[in-house]
Amino acid sequence: MRNVIARLGMTASLLAMVTSAHAVEIDHELGTTDVPENPERIVVLEYSFVDSLAAVGVAPVGIADDNSRDRIVQAYTDIIGDDWVSVGTRKSPSLEIIASLQPDLIIADKNRHSAIYSSLSDIAPTLVFDSLTGTYDVALESAATIAHAVGRDAQMSERLAEHRALMSDYKAQLGDVSGLSIQFFIDNGRGIYLHSPTSYNGSLLSWFGFETEMTATDGDTYSDAIVQTSLEQLSVLNPDILVRGKYADPGLTDEWVGQPLFDNLKAIQSGWLFDIEAHNWSRLRGVIASEASAASLVDIMAQIER
Amino acid sequence: MPLAVRYVLLIAVVVAAALWSLTLGQRGDIHLSNILSLLWVDDGSLARSAVIDLRLPRTLVALFVGVNLALAGLALQAVTRNPLASESILGINQGASLGVALAVVLPFLAGVPLDLMAILGAALAGLVTFAIAGGLGGRLDSIRLILAGVAVGAFSYACVRFTYTLDDDLSRLVINWVSADISSVSVQQVLPLIAWSFAGVLGSLLLAHGFNVLALGDGASQGLGIDPRRVRFLGAALAAVLTGASVAVAGPVMFVGLVVPHLCRFWFGQNHRALVPAVALGGGALLVLADAVSKLVRFPYETPLGVVCALIGAPYFLYATLTARRLA
Repeated sequence: MRNVIARLGMTASLLAMVTSAHAVEIDHELGTTDVPENPERIVVLEYSFVDSLAAVGVAPVGIADDNSRDRIVQAYTDIIGDDWVSVGTRKSPSLEIIASLQPDLIIADKNRHSAIYSSLSDIAPTLVFDSLTGTYDVALESAATIAHAVGRDAQMSERLAEHRALMSDYKAQLGDVSGLSIQFFIDNGRGIYLHSPTSYNGSLLSWFGFETEMTATDGDTYSDAIVQTSLEQLSVLNPDILVRGKYADPGLTDEWVGQPLFDNLKAIQSGWLFDIEAHNWSRLRGVIASEASAASLVDIMAQIER
Repeated sequence: MPLAVRYVLLIAVVVAAALWSLTLGQRGDIHLSNILSLLWVDDGSLARSAVIDLRLPRTLVALFVGVNLALAGLALQAVTRNPLASESILGINQGASLGVALAVVLPFLAGVPLDLMAILGAALAGLVTFAIAGGLGGRLDSIRLILAGVAVGAFSYACVRFTYTLDDDLSRLVINWVSADISSVSVQQVLPLIAWSFAGVLGSLLLAHGFNVLALGDGASQGLGIDPRRVRFLGAALAAVLTGASVAVAGPVMFVGLVVPHLCRFWFGQNHRALVPAVALGGGALLVLADAVSKLVRFPYETPLGVVCALIGAPYFLYATLTARRLA
């Protein structure tokens, strides 16, 4: 099997070399990689890379969509269509399917895919970015690098200018939110997981000027970005606004209703606990995703009388 | 030292450990100095709520899971006449984990309660292990028993590990459960556990004489009018139920069933009548302490109880293996 994959990979990379005379040198998390000019068969292994490609109107041939196509939301399918092949889960994508797609570029995540980087590189030139634990700024930088790799620099700078204008507009609509602390968390029915200031959502919220009650840790591991937390810990943090994404219904937080520690949270007392689409907030990152998050944030703040 | 004094000392350790553990947590307004008044007096404060609603159920779960698992270990060591037998060595814990993993992953099992799946998995794994070792036919081969347990445990865990590769939320659910995280248990989960513990102590006391006689060998047991197969079956069933009930609440906590009976034999001798209360108290004390440590390892964030227990238990298992005079 390994041989087949390697051979398929070699054929793919040979093809890539033959078809493109020039290569673009791209710096990424795991080094520098030569990417054939204007790659056309791109496989992406995180949703944020779908976002980056969609932002410049490029459709990937393969997506690690966790075997469920509706994970790729309409905001993306409107641009990229729905012709992609599922290459399995983001956590353990199928190398065989990836190789069979004969890609000329693979885009992978630092946390999830460093261990299979060399296998991926055998198949096609592979770029690695910090999607899972990266911040909002990192997501935008990665998007720009990806656009450069696929030869769409002009489109991306245009799109990013549009993005910045839109986000500034949202920021203006939110007004001055300094002095208001906010916390986004996921409730999966058995535990709650806070997205820390070093996470994508945490950094996005602080970009808008919100405060956080969490102390940022130095690390950039998954458990630094997404922190499992007890009700007691939440009651100590006690942020002004709670933004909740529920993957289970009823969630664990629903069971907490009636407990004094939960009922006395500032956000519960003032009715400032808001539910958002868990998938969009916790799994999607990037230019398009952050605009959607910002829009729902504006909706939330409209319900808060200040 | 008289037996009664030794029991009182153990009780004192349990109470002290529980009080200490109750003072540990993220809130800064709960100390050793006010923990007793917070426990007894309802002053309506949030500190009281944190102690009663969050910390007390958790400490009680640790206590009674410790009691149950230690008693299960004692019963397993008696029926197998092997000092190294325990729920985790015989694959019973891992079987319970597999039950839960299946319930989470397979859509048609979605309606089945996790607890039931854990107990079924535990019972099935125990049955397979005993069957491979010849226990169902009457003669139990100790070496085969351990090897069968290793095989059943490895198979179960391989299947559980497969779920780690699945969707993030599924795997997080399984990991949360398999690493024995008891940080968000509720009061409702405590009461059945206490009932099981009382049944476990009672059952173990009733079987204690049988366990003592079993230690003399099958021939001697029959000579004394006790059917060794009956004692063995009842002991194994008791162990499976106690393990399943505990694992259903807390997840597979490893090594308690091995370490506690072992240590208690040093202090209380070989007589099971004296050992049963000692093992129950010792198991409770060990897990309450382990739970307290689990709160401190990465303060203010939690380290799952199962991880702490494995860190204590694995070296002890090695020690017990190396010093055991007779493994089979």
